Amino acid sequence: MDTLSRRRFLQLSGAAIVGASAPVLSISQIVQAAQSRPLPIGTPIVVIITLYGGNDGLNTVIPYQDSTYLQARPDISYAPSDVLPLDKDLALNGSMAGMKNLWDQKKLAIIRGVGYPQSDRSHFTSMAIWQSGSPTNQLSSGWIGRWIDTQPRDPMLAISLGSVLPPLMAGTIRSGSALPLGGIVVPTGALALDCMRLSAPAASDTKLLATAATSLRDLFDLSSNVTPVLKLPAPPATDLPTSNGGSAGGSSDLQQQLDLVAKLIAVGAPTRVWSVSLGGFDTHANEKGAQSVLLGNVSDSISRFLSQMRSTNRGADVTVMAYSEFGRRVHGNASQGTDHGTSGSVFLAGDKIAGGFYGDQPSLTSLVDGDLAVTSDFRDIYATVLESLLKSPVDQVLGSWKGRTNFVRKI
Amino acid sequence: MISERVQIARLFHRFSFGPKPGEFSRALKNGLAAASAELLTVPPNDEGLKSIANPTLTDLGPFPAVNSPNRKVFDDAMRRQRHDLTLWWLDRMVLADHGLTERMTWFWHGHWATSIGKVEYSFPMYLQNQTLRKYALGNFADQSRNMMLDGALQYWLDNGNNTVSAPNENLAREFMELFTLGVDQYSEQDVKLVARALTGYTVARSSGTVTFNPKKHDSSTLNILGKTSSFTAEQVSNHLVAQSQCARFIAQRIWFRFISDTAPLTYDNPLISAFADRDISALIKSAGTGAGISNPENSLVKSPVEWFVAVCRALKVTPSKVSKPDQVINFLDKLGQIPFVPPNVGGWPSGEPWLTTAAAQYRLQVAQYLLTQGDLRALSSAPSGDRYFMIGDLLGVPTWSVRTARALRNVQGDPTRLFLLAVSSPEYIVSI
Repeated sequence: MDTLSRRRFLQLSGAAIVGASAPVLSISQIVQAAQSRPLPIGTPIVVIITLYGGNDGLNTVIPYQDSTYLQARPDISYAPSDVLPLDKDLALNGSMAGMKNLWDQKKLAIIRGVGYPQSDRSHFTSMAIWQSGSPTNQLSSGWIGRWIDTQPRDPMLAISLGSVLPPLMAGTIRSGSALPLGGIVVPTGALALDCMRLSAPAASDTKLLATAATSLRDLFDLSSNVTPVLKLPAPPATDLPTSNGGSAGGSSDLQQQLDLVAKLIAVGAPTRVWSVSLGGFDTHANEKGAQSVLLGNVSDSISRFLSQMRSTNRGADVTVMAYSEFGRRVHGNASQGTDHGTSGSVFLAGDKIAGGFYGDQPSLTSLVDGDLAVTSDFRDIYATVLESLLKSPVDQVLGSWKGRTNFVRKI
Repeated sequence: MISERVQIARLFHRFSFGPKPGEFSRALKNGLAAASAELLTVPPNDEGLKSIANPTLTDLGPFPAVNSPNRKVFDDAMRRQRHDLTLWWLDRMVLADHGLTERMTWFWHGHWATSIGKVEYSFPMYLQNQTLRKYALGNFADQSRNMMLDGALQYWLDNGNNTVSAPNENLAREFMELFTLGVDQYSEQDVKLVARALTGYTVARSSGTVTFNPKKHDSSTLNILGKTSSFTAEQVSNHLVAQSQCARFIAQRIWFRFISDTAPLTYDNPLISAFADRDISALIKSAGTGAGISNPENSLVKSPVEWFVAVCRALKVTPSKVSKPDQVINFLDKLGQIPFVPPNVGGWPSGEPWLTTAAAQYRLQVAQYLLTQGDLRALSSAPSGDRYFMIGDLLGVPTWSVRTARALRNVQGDPTRLFLLAVSSPEYIVSI
């Protein structure tokens, strides 16, 4: 089940090499920047959520009235009574009440059948294609990284949570920054002085030695104005019911990441793109329970995050996008799971989004090599995010790509 | 080229888990040729391991119902076995006089990365660990065949329910992509065919026993990577390992973990031909004596377990014998790496991801605790003016930067502080 996650992909893709040149930020640096040069109110902010492992699209946006769906996966299909209908054909997984609520408010766009030509079923290759934004040329840069290349130099511009930078953030000239998670306790007294000596730069340092020294030195980089920000509660989710019980049982790692993003956006971090992630979607066995917990996490985390944003003055600025490297097979396997497949849905949510379906729902009867057809190209979505949300030219990132998906609300 | 001192230090930290007190100085005296011959050849007996008894692990059977009266006893037994298994292996890494076998077992654990997080039972994880140790330096074809039928791996990758009518491709795909050939060395059709050849096996999760039922096996004639036959799982394993790409792929994995995780393995690197017969020992000797090990650019970061075990060896700390053995596992959890719990089937990351500020903080905490449990007489019995010169040899660090030398000299009157700073220094965290 959780045999694949972000770390494996990062390791296999050699992202550690890319990340070597990536600045590692401390929260203090971001907070200082937020105070000295906050992001102007009204600047669009994009939060990208990567779901590692290949999310089963057919049990996420469910063709609940289609008898082919029920027959193809008798062990793991959902009955109409267990889903959250969006229209007469499609429904959300029953654990996704938060996203259903966003749908009802017309703030959730669901792009159907998303993929790219000649789908690759390797986690590694397919995620590399999605993150680089290029199915054909094996680019070592990521699509957000190339966008960063076009912007004025600013280490706060795009930030990924976690110690390893995902390839989507690696540019050819510059890259996004990594913000490691986890609380830091700073040594004090004599040990502090010892450690400061031990972590000073040395002329003889190779890159790895310098990074090791920096990681220790950064312990002391936490200034007094940081602790108050971290101690702040995350912005309140005022327009959600106080008990949005149901799915997950306890906060998920994704929720913790988004809570930190919410705090940093709320104090005015000059950051326009954030990257967070959740692993565990490689559901070859016993998929139903596991996936519904994960989808519940995703749904609760996104709706909570957007609600938090609405309690700040950035509510209208923030858009969340969630994707996975591929969908899964139409037919279940013998272990109550599904094997690697092709297309799946991409979600975009926020006040800037014109809610509804985009792209055609792939047919369950006209399959391509036994798998779902690709009806939307992911580059259409990227181009729209770049052009309509980040207000940037597309060609420097995706070349002459012409396709667009009109999920951004016209003002 | 780098000095003999640096090369010997690399051998100790990459092909073992760091020197025990006195070992590095002895190796320096004997010279590189002798040190490399000694460190890369496993002796018939290991006195260091004699004091370690194998853990008493048993098949605990199916999970009792949540409300059953037996459930608490069962849960306690599960916890105890997991605790015993983890500390048993850490003890072996620390106490082995000759570190290569445990180091290779550790490498293969990261290669066949199976997690107790899903398997849950310690007994099959223990059996897998013994298999990895048995074939750690043997023939890779033997290792792969045994791993193909390993209960923990079969359960981890869902092969227990892979049937003719509904194949589960997880084991088939990973066996090719991650274990024997590497990505893009096979077609999607090959994945489907290999999955069919792996049908008919069931695994008893708590015991790890894999049973073959010929009636449920797809015995049709399949064409897999140029060979047409009716394959069993073992035959598929042999066939994949016999592909020439397998030599390149496994040589790459060894290169990545032992020599460099940034420089690619060159097309004509001798490591590949050293593995022509799939002899792991020959491959390791080639890695330990080839040009890569003496290239100054090929530094590597010690992973948390590697760092922890090296500190324990220097301090003569036996992990299971510390005042709070559970704390050891807790520390490793904070550092991000616990044996038997790889993050996923791709194993642990390498290099810079370990160099976070959070890790720097936890390394200080862990080293402070281990210092309360260890034996520092090698340092404390020496005159304080000599200690700065001794600490590099004690730990097997080839050189200190001006920065670290200044910090260490400043505290050499206090052996505990000296040791704490030395094992927290960039020159110790990185195998230069």
